[in-house]
Amino acid sequence: MSVNFGLAQLSNHFLICTVLLYSLALLAYAGDFAFGRHPSKGETPAAEVPELVAAGVPAAGVPAASVGARSGSAAAGYESAGSGSAGPGSESAGSESAGSGSAGPGPGSGSAGSGPDPTGYALRLPASAGQGGRSRGSWLPAGSWVRAALVLSALGLAAHVIGVTTRGLAVHRVPWGDMYEFVTSVTCVAAIFFLALMIRYRAYYLGLFVMAPVLLALGLAETVIYTPAGQIAVALQSYWLAIHVTAMTLASGTFVVGAALAVVYLLTDRYARRVAAGRQSASVGAFRLLPAPEVIDRFAYRTVMFAFPIWTFGIMAGAIWADTAWGRYWGWDPTETWAFITWVVYACFLHARATAGWRGRRAAYIQLIGFGCLLFNLLGVSIFITGLHSYAGLS
Amino acid sequence: MTGLRVPPGAKHPDEATAQRSEQHAAAAGGRTAPGGPGVFGVLGWLRWAWRQLTSMRTALVLLFLLAVASVPGSVLPQQGIDPQSVQQYYASHPSLAPLLARLSLFNVFAAPWFAAIYLLLFLSLAGCVVPRSFRLARSARALPPPAPRNLARLPQSARHETGLAPGDALDAAAAVLAARRFRLRTGDGWLSAEKGYRREVGNLLFHLALLGLLGAVALGGLFGYKADRLLVAGSSFANTVTSLDEFHPGRAVSAVDLQPFSIALNRFTASYITSGALRGQPSAFDAYIRYSAGPGSPTRPYDLRVNHPLNVDGVKVFLIGHGYAPVFKVTDGTGRVVFDQAVPFIAVQQSGLTSEGVVKVPDARPDQLGFAGVFLPTAVDAGGQLESIFPAAENPRVSLVAYAGNLGMNSGPSQSVYQLNTAGLRKLPISPRPLAPGQSMKLPDGAGTLTFTGYQPWVSLAITYDPGTLPALLAGVAALLGLLLSFFVRRRRMFVRAYPGADGATVVDVAGLVRSDAGGGFEEEFEGLAEALRSAHDGHDVTADVTAPAPAGTDSSSRTDTAGE
Repeated sequence: MSVNFGLAQLSNHFLICTVLLYSLALLAYAGDFAFGRHPSKGETPAAEVPELVAAGVPAAGVPAASVGARSGSAAAGYESAGSGSAGPGSESAGSESAGSGSAGPGPGSGSAGSGPDPTGYALRLPASAGQGGRSRGSWLPAGSWVRAALVLSALGLAAHVIGVTTRGLAVHRVPWGDMYEFVTSVTCVAAIFFLALMIRYRAYYLGLFVMAPVLLALGLAETVIYTPAGQIAVALQSYWLAIHVTAMTLASGTFVVGAALAVVYLLTDRYARRVAAGRQSASVGAFRLLPAPEVIDRFAYRTVMFAFPIWTFGIMAGAIWADTAWGRYWGWDPTETWAFITWVVYACFLHARATAGWRGRRAAYIQLIGFGCLLFNLLGVSIFITGLHSYAGLS
Repeated sequence: MTGLRVPPGAKHPDEATAQRSEQHAAAAGGRTAPGGPGVFGVLGWLRWAWRQLTSMRTALVLLFLLAVASVPGSVLPQQGIDPQSVQQYYASHPSLAPLLARLSLFNVFAAPWFAAIYLLLFLSLAGCVVPRSFRLARSARALPPPAPRNLARLPQSARHETGLAPGDALDAAAAVLAARRFRLRTGDGWLSAEKGYRREVGNLLFHLALLGLLGAVALGGLFGYKADRLLVAGSSFANTVTSLDEFHPGRAVSAVDLQPFSIALNRFTASYITSGALRGQPSAFDAYIRYSAGPGSPTRPYDLRVNHPLNVDGVKVFLIGHGYAPVFKVTDGTGRVVFDQAVPFIAVQQSGLTSEGVVKVPDARPDQLGFAGVFLPTAVDAGGQLESIFPAAENPRVSLVAYAGNLGMNSGPSQSVYQLNTAGLRKLPISPRPLAPGQSMKLPDGAGTLTFTGYQPWVSLAITYDPGTLPALLAGVAALLGLLLSFFVRRRRMFVRAYPGADGATVVDVAGLVRSDAGGGFEEEFEGLAEALRSAHDGHDVTADVTAPAPAGTDSSSRTDTAGE
């Protein structure tokens, strides 16, 4: 079937619009950081408490005490929850203390130890919880900068989805057959996942960190590796393309968000430790607006937990396809090898996070190494190493 | 000291299934334990080594090593994947290559050190997972632990009051939890319930499936084989060792194990994109074959395509390549037709499928004849030089260099059919004009005549037999299932205590505990369960109080008050 050039052109226009809208959204996220209305100084100490508690600093709070009590409960068979369950425990403390300042969005958060807030993380995001409180029932957050950023991101995402879809319609197949298409789709998945995360958990301050790599990748895709719409190689003409590459696209897009969260984690963790060490005032610095490191860590962990089975499935689907196309399900082709390396490093991350002494920073670094392997597989292997997977369409 | 203290007699089998990190801690802390302090002994060392090996830390390091060890396999050319590139690497790095070869870096995935890493990793895995499986099997029948004394100290807790007597309230709570398939245990004034055993099942399933995957790979390496065969249209072959061009048997495969099918290639068509940026790119390949599963079996037609292999008796036949075989007819100096067949030429350039090959005519007299040729499917004159601009045969030409003399085929080492040994040959002065189909050229000195009568397509077939494929697939599916279970099932406990309150009503304390922070969402589930318990106790003079009580009379309660300020 021939390529529909009108639709391909439309796709290009929409993707250029996407880049523009994302750029504006990024500016708005940055503007929110710089100029947005944030909790006044009077509110700040209240907002600090959950961070400190979550950071495990022995603050004078119930949760600290109950954390201590529960670490003894490890003997009851929940040792892995020992520090993990410190989260929910200190969350209720967060609601308690934050509730005194600004009305938290959750029901009953004003009363002590009411159990966790259904919105979960909102309570641990002091500043945005404040925003949520001020927005008076609107699903949009308060603050014109962050509202603008959210609207621009949503518009950009709509253009992005249309751009990817029209490309697929133009070439009569799934629109991730070459490197350019793959990057546009991966960034689309990352943007969707991030927006869902942001709206679900009111994690508006992550926008800067997630949208920046998305924009960078999409901008590079449009300028450096743009490939006109066309047919794909015979070896790719299989329904397994839809299965294998779709899984890889979904997983990669989610891993992008995971990596951005790992970076945010490392930054907030550094900030929290500086505050704890007294080298940094808790009331200044952009990082005081970000959630506590433990919250980010859990975001990152759950993001990887979401993506890892999809990546596993993608590798398996690729193996099945390789078995029908090349006569072996695994042949250590460079791309296969790097998919395997990526899988192994992310497996390391998942195990490290469950192992005492490896949680936190080390685990975050491992996650970033895993993402580095994924990127190398996408860029390095496609460009520098020739293998059976050389379908990038670059020359 | 802790509100979760458990009576010493109570056994909790699930603790034993705990994280490996704990094992490691035991290994590190109890280093001298086996033979008492100071006495280590051989057994002690062995036990220590085994604990080290099966610890999570070692497994992590081995996992990392496995990732790092795979890197050279993707960066350097590999013998098993691309032997020609290895040769090229030897040519361009003459001093470095032998060194790399000694370290097996051209064969990483079969290298002893690579095997050492993954075997240690799988040993470590087995050492951890197998005992855990047994413990899980035992704990599957065990009851949850008794409810802790002070439920308010658990991460999730709630309190309400009911008009029911404590015993009736517990019965009602038990009914609610049992309906949600919790496993129950009741005691004096308390109830504990547990759910989510599939999490550990999933975790074990995943790791056991990885062991199964290794087994499946080994199965393929022992009993599988790979072979290649080039087949010119109009010819056929049987799956025997002698008629295969390349044959790589597994360690336990002998010639008699080959499935006795035969394949004939009737026709091959290749379609190419004829316009646009991708002009010349193939769009479809079809090899129309007839095959028979064995002597005496009926012959069936099959359309062999890329991504559409033939499956005979568990053996798969793939279309992996194609090319042209020009047909030559050679009449020697004595006037006899000594050669009339298609000669497969191998593509040396993909976009125009320019192909090279040699023709050997050992029966020619007085001298043996040999030709080295280039086949151009769509020849055009580009500045005095012919080149092929399209892979389909739209303007086929063949250009030859002729030799006469001794081909050297009767003695010495066996020759490749794609190379001419020119040592005993002299070059014949012939016109360099390329031949179109049907054209002939007369060789000088009455050596004979060669006619380029036409061309046939050929296909190259890969024949693979891997009995480990299905087991590997099953292991993969099991691993994925296990992964999903262990990621998204929460192991959680619910505790209920009911006791008479001050005002005559029964106070019901409900608490929940989840083992992992991974899945998330237990908060919502707990709210739902607490609500269900409350409504089960409803209608009995309730004064529901959602908020958790401030624990009275404990050291932590005093800190509660300071936190809010």
